[in-house]
Amino acid sequence: MKLSQITFSELASKDILELYGKSIDDEGFIVEKDNPSQRVLTPNGEEIPLKEWGGIRKGSEAFIKKDTFSLIELAKKLE
Amino acid sequence: MTILENLKKVFEGKFGDILSHNNITLFNFSRNTNETVEVKGGNKLVIDISKATEEEKKLVKNILDSRVQSENEAFLMDHSSEKTLKIKRSLPFGESEELLKFYKDKLKPEMYKALEASIIVKNVFERGEDISEMKRDISDKYPTFGNNLCNLVTRGYFNEHFKELYQSMLEDEEFDINAYQRKVEKIIKSLPYTVFITRYKSYDELSGEVRFKLDRLKKYGTGKLLLHGLGRENVNTTMTILEEYRENNHINMQIEINPKKTIITATLIF
Repeated sequence: MKLSQITFSELASKDILELYGKSIDDEGFIVEKDNPSQRVLTPNGEEIPLKEWGGIRKGSEAFIKKDTFSLIELAKKLE
Repeated sequence: MTILENLKKVFEGKFGDILSHNNITLFNFSRNTNETVEVKGGNKLVIDISKATEEEKKLVKNILDSRVQSENEAFLMDHSSEKTLKIKRSLPFGESEELLKFYKDKLKPEMYKALEASIIVKNVFERGEDISEMKRDISDKYPTFGNNLCNLVTRGYFNEHFKELYQSMLEDEEFDINAYQRKVEKIIKSLPYTVFITRYKSYDELSGEVRFKLDRLKKYGTGKLLLHGLGRENVNTTMTILEEYRENNHINMQIEINPKKTIITATLIF
């Protein structure tokens, strides 16, 4: 796995989620736009508040958090 | 096909002149632009996707899908991308990798994860980089022990003390890994009110440290102080210090010593 040369700023977080058909529910969690009762989960099964979202990696829309522990797992997979 | 070539196909009609910059190597989705795409800092193309048409958004999404799924790239927030690179540079290797291996099958999984992260934090610090956010992440995830564990890693306690503790406990006939895990957890959680009895300090220094911490803890009302020592010499030193408080009616003592008298954990309750 590599880090993409394409990144997004915090300002554009919601725009990127919109591209992926996601939105934010009343409690600030990322949800499916077509089914707002369904929260998006990380590969570890955790719900993701917008403020904790770090990005996307390969997988069936693998959304990941931006905390140190999530990024350690990602860093271990980098070439 | 490169990212730039792909983006040219999406936006060429409108922004061909902007995209003709051949030195563009970075791409960042953001806002604060006048047009859908702008070059900033000479080599970064900033894209405000909220200004794009529905068709352009669809084509951009296809580019992202191709990079993530086919090229196996992680598409991250700029800050997360920098943080991941910082972590990657400081992943345990050599001595710190060996240290982690030692604890792999000895600590509880959550304690092990915190140890791994704390070793990375230490490596990041030694490279002269900022660790405040990473330390906060560890404390947030493990509020009862994360910060203390991080401090103990920085002070080298996992290189020596907790290894020695394991070796000493292993010598007991009825060794139980759960007992080791409980002992480590107790010491880490008690760090703010623990004195490590070590041969590297004189008796007067250790006795003074115990007296100083007792006075301070009485003032702040924690109500207990732990004395922890490994090895016969340190067990004896601890017992001698405890003698100083034997006649004190305001202090109760709970003393745990292993059968071989090589590990002592004494709790002064006041």
